[in-house]
Amino acid sequence: MNTDKNKKLEEILSSLDGSRRAAVPGFFYTRLKARMEKGLEPVKQSWVLRPAFAFSALVVVLLVNAAVILKGDAAKENTVADTENFQSLAAEYRLNDNNNAILFDINQDK
Amino acid sequence: MAFKYLVDNYQDRVFNTAIGIVQNAEDAQDVAQEVFIQVYRSIHNFKGEAKLSTWLYRIATTRALDLLRSRKSKKRFGFMQRLFGEANEPLHELPDFNHPGIALDRKENAAKLFKAISQLPDNQKTAFTLHKLEDLSYQEISEVMQTSVPAVESLMHRAKQNLRKILEKETD
Repeated sequence: MNTDKNKKLEEILSSLDGSRRAAVPGFFYTRLKARMEKGLEPVKQSWVLRPAFAFSALVVVLLVNAAVILKGDAAKENTVADTENFQSLAAEYRLNDNNNAILFDINQDK
Repeated sequence: MAFKYLVDNYQDRVFNTAIGIVQNAEDAQDVAQEVFIQVYRSIHNFKGEAKLSTWLYRIATTRALDLLRSRKSKKRFGFMQRLFGEANEPLHELPDFNHPGIALDRKENAAKLFKAISQLPDNQKTAFTLHKLEDLSYQEISEVMQTSVPAVESLMHRAKQNLRKILEKETD
């Protein structure tokens, strides 16, 4: 069993022995010349300009914007809720305008 | 005219080296073109201390490995590209590579071996490819890789060990 496996491995490992050299496809020189004349050597694009990076940056900016807007709305809602709480508290302890006026008068009398 | 003579004489060696490393005919052709463009632009830097073929093999292996590295980094960005529908190239694994110079009865085994070679570290991959596909001696490989003959021997030994391990795993 092991001998068979070793034999198979050896066959695979020696499968490149005696291989022929791969030849370039036809018109290689013509294509090469055309590329040299057009100056088509690939320009290395900066990673900052890669679409994946650009879109990721855009998404981050949009998410930050959305977070700021949502937080702003929540803060507004809190302010409204606080006002309502104060009003109900004032009503409960009768801290309305009339009472304040009475208290004010008492203080003045003194 | 001299440049055409150089290209005609060395194009197959450069292409064969490149195709062994990048394992794709179109990419290998691209690499071969880049090699000759670099040679054309920097022939004045060639001092004649090394053989012209050694210099060409060195440029070819460097360019081919560069292409593999850029392929890897593209793969890393693959997820983002897929996410935003910007993928221009297929992200799936490359299919099994069939070297055009391999006899038909060995093609299946050779495809397995090439798959295992693609998992080797760069220097082992370079030494093994130059030795097996271009039939370079350890001395010649040491000149291409600018290292010593014992270092190449060690690289080849480790390459064979690693290939054996990879193939054992694959065949289990």
